[in-house]
This record gives sequence, C-alpha cells and structure tokens, in this order.
Amino acid sequence: MMNNRKSDDGFEMASMSNRVLELTVISGEDLRIKGKPIRNNAYAIIKTNNVPNATTKVDQEGGSYPYWDEKLLVDLPLRTFFITVEVRRRTSSGVGQLIGAASIPVSDFIGGYTPENYLHFLSYRLRDAVGERNGIVNVSVRVKSPAPYGCSTASATQPEMGIQSVDPGDGRAGGTVVTGMPVCFPHACRSR
Amino acid sequence: MGNCCSDGGSGRAAIGATAAYPTIDGPNDAVQLFLSARGCHGLFSQIELSFSALGLRDRDLCSKSDPLLVIYVRGRDGAVQEVGRTEVVLNSFNPTWITKHTMAFQFEVVQTLIFRVYDVDTPFHNVEVKMLKLDEQQFLGEATCALSQIVTKSSRSLTLDLVPGTEAADSVCSQSCGKLIVHAEECIGSKTTTEIIFRCSDFEHKTLFSRSDPFLVISKIVENGIPIPICKSEVIKNDPRLAWKSVFLNIQQVGSKDSPLVIECFNFNSNGKHDLVGKVQKSLVDLERLHSSGQGENLFYPTSSGNNYQNKILKSQLFVDTFNESIQCSFLDYLAEGFELNFMVAIDFTASNGNPRLPDSLHYIDPSGHPNAYQRAVLEVGEVLQFYDTDRRFPAWGFGARPIDGPVSHCFNLNGSSNYCEVEGIQGIMMAYMSALLNVSLAGPTLFGPVITNAALLASQSLANSWHKYFVLLIITDGVVTDLQETKDALVKASDLPLSILIVGVGGADFKEMEILDADKGDRLESSNGRVASRDIVQFVPLRDVQSELLLYYISVWWFYCFLVTTLPFVGGEISAIQSLLAELPTQFLTFMRTRDIRPS
Repeated sequence: MMNNRKSDDGFEMASMSNRVLELTVISGEDLRIKGKPIRNNAYAIIKTNNVPNATTKVDQEGGSYPYWDEKLLVDLPLRTFFITVEVRRRTSSGVGQLIGAASIPVSDFIGGYTPENYLHFLSYRLRDAVGERNGIVNVSVRVKSPAPYGCSTASATQPEMGIQSVDPGDGRAGGTVVTGMPVCFPHACRSR
Repeated sequence: MGNCCSDGGSGRAAIGATAAYPTIDGPNDAVQLFLSARGCHGLFSQIELSFSALGLRDRDLCSKSDPLLVIYVRGRDGAVQEVGRTEVVLNSFNPTWITKHTMAFQFEVVQTLIFRVYDVDTPFHNVEVKMLKLDEQQFLGEATCALSQIVTKSSRSLTLDLVPGTEAADSVCSQSCGKLIVHAEECIGSKTTTEIIFRCSDFEHKTLFSRSDPFLVISKIVENGIPIPICKSEVIKNDPRLAWKSVFLNIQQVGSKDSPLVIECFNFNSNGKHDLVGKVQKSLVDLERLHSSGQGENLFYPTSSGNNYQNKILKSQLFVDTFNESIQCSFLDYLAEGFELNFMVAIDFTASNGNPRLPDSLHYIDPSGHPNAYQRAVLEVGEVLQFYDTDRRFPAWGFGARPIDGPVSHCFNLNGSSNYCEVEGIQGIMMAYMSALLNVSLAGPTLFGPVITNAALLASQSLANSWHKYFVLLIITDGVVTDLQETKDALVKASDLPLSILIVGVGGADFKEMEILDADKGDRLESSNGRVASRDIVQFVPLRDVQSELLLYYISVWWFYCFLVTTLPFVGGEISAIQSLLAELPTQFLTFMRTRDIRPS
C-alpha cells in the first residue's frame, strides 16, 4: 500500500519554489578521523547545489559527540533536490578536514502529508570521503516561507517544464497521460 | 517527569554495581520490570481526589443523612481493597467532603476506583471515622470509575450516578440515589523538575592503564539508609572535560528538596563491574547552594579500617554548573487540554499461527470464552488506552492473509470494509477479529512495512487538522518479520511523526531478531537511503506464557528479596510484560511534544 506517487509530486514541488528553511544543526555522534574519535573543533557546513550556504560555530570541547544546536537560515534555490550537510574538523590550514557528509533529500521535509510549518527532526548517516560510514548528524528543519501561489500539498501542480502530472486527488488508476521524466535518486547523486 | 540521560545500551545496564548489592548485567527483563514498576524509571504523578455529592437519599426519619464516603480500589484479580475514608458531614444531602485522597497515577494499568456512600447513624457520630464498622451504617449508594476517566476530562471532574449496588438488598431504589462528583488535581511536586549539570575536576586515575569512562548514579536514601537509584547519567567516553549532560530530577521522585541524595561516580567497565571512584552526599537544597556559590564538593571514598568506617577524602571535586527548576507541563496537563492517544491495532494472520479451527492454533477461539493470545494482547493494551481516545473509534487491520476473493494482502481492514478501517470500541475490534478469521485464509509472509506505512499516513494526515493527537499502533505477531529492511525504512520515516509502535510477540518463536527494532536493545534504526531514526518509537515485548513468566520473575528477584522488600513499597500483584510496554508511552508522548515545543495553553 505504499503510495509512491505522493513522494514524486513532492519531489517536483520541492524543486520548484524558492523557499527559506530554518535548519537547526543539533549535534553529531561518534565522529572519527581514521578510526579514532576526534577530540574537538567539529563544525558543520550546509551546502545547496554544492555551494556552501551556511556554517555552524565550532564546538571546541564536544569531542566526538559535538553539540551545536545552532539555527541557520538556508535559502533553498530553485530546483534543489538535496541539501548536503558536511561535518568537518577545524584545522590550522583553514579548510577543515572532512569527517563525513550526508545528503538530505528535500522531499524528506517538503511534500508528503505533513503541514508546511511542521518541525521535522531528522537524522542522517554521515559518510566520509571514501564512502565509509562515519557517525550520525541530527538536524531539525522547518520551512519558513510559505509556498508561492498558495498551493497546498493536496492540489495538482503546474510544473514549469510543461509535463503533465497526475492529479493526486484522483483515485482512479488509468485515464490520464503521464510523461516520464528522469529523476535523480539519492544514491545515484551522492557525491563521489 | 524523571528523565535519566543514559547513552543507550552500554550505560543502561549499570545500576548499583558496588559490593553492597549485586550487579544487574545485561537485559534482565524481569528485574527491569520490577524496578521500573516501582519508580526507578516510572512516571508517577500524584493525584489528589476531592469529593462532593448531590441529592443523597434520606434514610433517617428525623434528620438529614450524615454521609461518609469510603474509597476502594479494585485490583487486576478483582479483589476490592479499601484505601481511604472521608470525614462524616453532618446533616446534608449535598455534602462536600474536606478529606482528600492522594494516589499515584499509573498510566499503564486501569486503576478502578469504587466509591461507597454511607449514612452514619447518630450513636456513631463521636467515633473516629477509621473505627466505624461499615456494616452497622446505612448504605446510600455506590459508584465506579477508572482513574483515567477522571483525568482525561478537561474539567478534571467526573459526575457519577450512585447506584444501589449489590449490598442494598433491603430496598429497591425507586428514586435516584444521587450523584457523586469526583475531582482530580495533580500535586504540584509532580510537575517541578530540576535540571542539573554536574562537572568533575581533577580526576584521579585508579591505575596507570585505566581509561576513565565516568558516569554518575544519583540515589535517594530511604529509612534503612540504603540508597535507591533514581537517575543515571550517560557515560563520558574519550572526553577530557568531565561534564555530563543535564540530568532531570522530579521533586516527587526525590521526595522533597531536603531529602538526602547520594551522588556516586563510577568508572564504566564493559564487564558490568563498575568501580566506584567517589561519592558525595547532598540534598537538592545543598546542590542549589553549591551552584550559587560556584564551589565544589570533594568526593569521598568509603574505606573501612577495622570497626570504623572512615571516608578517604579525594582531591576530585564535584561542581554544579547548572541548577534550573522549572514547572513543566506534565502528561496530565496535556490530557486536560484535549490531547489524546489514538489506538490502532494490526493482527498477524499468517499461516504460521495454525489453522484457527484447531485448538492448538494461536487464533483458536475458545468456546468457553477464554481469550487467546491475540485477544489477550488487544484487551490488555486496549482497555488502558481506550480512555485516552475521545471517539473510541480504532483503526484495525490484519496482515498476511488472503481475503475471500483476492491476493494476499499485507494491510486489510479487519472490519471487511474496503473504504474505512475503523471499528467502534474494544468490542468492535474483537468482533471484527472473529469475523475476519472466518473470512480470510491465512497466508504469509510476515511483513510489517505496509501496516506501519499506513499508520504513519494516518498520523501525518491528522497533523493537518490538529497537533493534539498522538497515535499508538499495536502490532501482534507470532513470527519474525520477513522484510526487516522495509520495516526499518518505514520506522525511520515514522520516527518524525506523532506515532509510537508497540510490538507484542505471541507464541513460542524465537524473537531475538525482533529486538533489533527496539532501539533500547540495539543501535538506532537506519533506512536503506542513509536516514536514521530520530527517536526510538518501537517497543517490543514477547508475551510469554503467564506461568513461565512468573517463574522467571520469582527466580530473578529471589536474591534481591532481602533489601528490596524492605525498602521498596510492595504494590502487589503481577507485573505483566504489556504493562512495561505501556509505561513508556507517556514519556515518548512528552518527548515528542516538548522537542517540538507543543504545549497545552
């Protein structure tokens, strides 16, 4: 009984509007470098479309379980499917040492049946530069600005690219034309 | 609310590991049930009941009635026990009694209260109320209710009709016996929570090669001088800065602000035998003073030399970095504001249960009325949760069976309808279950994904209308889940929603794998695309045969008998596994509401 259509619509909708997010990077868990837990100075960077958007302060004492609880305002540009959270350790050279990164699909907090201003608490597995698992990052996200044109999640969308979408309210199976569109799935898009 | 900040699996096993009392190693369900049912992790709110009555009958010839109210509690086994009496109000048909009755609110059981009103005859007016023999008084009427019925009303007052009851053999009540009004108030101590952040300095390492993984255990001292653990901090690993996360102490867990507390610092050892580093004995008032002065208190290590107990004062000092008292909204405050718990149930109809027509099947309906394992689980959970659901309409599903004409369904409506999934009341669930047994053919495999996804859909859809509903899904199954990854995916998605899932395992299967789903016993759940569950929403318990469970319970508790029985109040009766499941629900509800800052206004 999995209704996959809803998440696809959310995908499209999420990518189309310029929204502002209130993203709180709460904490990290079990962060290691080369297998050894780090001692301090971890911080997190939020990237949209691979461009750094916001950074947290450095937790100078937190060890491998840093606690930031920092609220960041993140602009979500058009057609963004993912937000990347990178956890790095501050080094003297300026560019921090990468501990791990996670991709947060925008559809995890936009679209779906939860209301627009719902505060989502999400956690993700961090993977290091070679793709190995390296800790967890905990965030909370709330969409700050309402969607444009007053469209609600239950109404049909008007995609810019002129693709017919299926009306989610219509329970009937057949009868509408749908054109397929290649969609970027999370695991395929994960950074090399 | 008393939250113990522990870091999950490793820290959890470690209460009371000094030579004075035996260690509790690993998951020992029976002992955990015993301790948690007696307050170590329990959420006990103290409720004060006050009473008044309207329109009592007139039994005396010359004057009005002189009513007295007696309060009884009916236990699970049906035994009725008197717990309190009010004073006698002279000459009144509409008395308001001054004497109040205080009792602990226990979420996980149905607390049935029976009230009986008596008219005290004139010759007895000067006798102390406690000494009055009730069979010498005139019985005026009786009323029954569950404590949860009173606390879920927004006014916290329940009006009950007094009925003649079984004792009034002498008269048929042609006129009404009157009404009894019971009002509940939560004692303020239940709501005051203290947040404390402890820090330690100058740690002395016991040996050169030992790592220090310290954690704190806070205990309260009872009359015999024996400490009872009430809270435990997380284990600090690999952190030179010895500051623990906040511990929350409820004033009522502690007793009072002046009650002596022992704060012990242990060094965590993975074999379960944790070394005591040192301890401090302070009350909450002393800790508050330490915080305001900024000074530290030296830990001491009890050593015995000969007959004297001497304390070796250590260099390490304990500091109180934060001491915040706050009045938090309790679970009962949310209930009074209209928040509700919506009960949903999903029943396993896979073929491994056995042919329902044969007596050895888990789905066998006994003609004598004795409930089977599935019915027992639904009744035990449902009869507690039904009071918290305002419309008493419960979604009920079955999974793993083939309805009359169709393929195997992993989430079909138990009532046979294709449009709506709800049934009316616990009786409705029972009837739908019995009719479903006749109308479906058991199949398989055991998949939880579709049922959990459906429940999550209901929970997220209800958010559009109101944030006052919290959903509880009960899954009763006889076997191990086949789609473990799909189940994990569904659970990870649901962890962000107002949903808790209770899984009860029936029958004799080995449920070891199912314990992975319960984060208390393992790691956080991870979905196939990298997302991790943000909170632990699943609890699993096997519903073992009652006999063997009792035996296990007694064997495990035997060697704690001496000091536990003298120090902990004996509540009486068996603690069922399902009660331990339910006991966690208010905490899960509160965590969800508080982190999202959803408060009762």
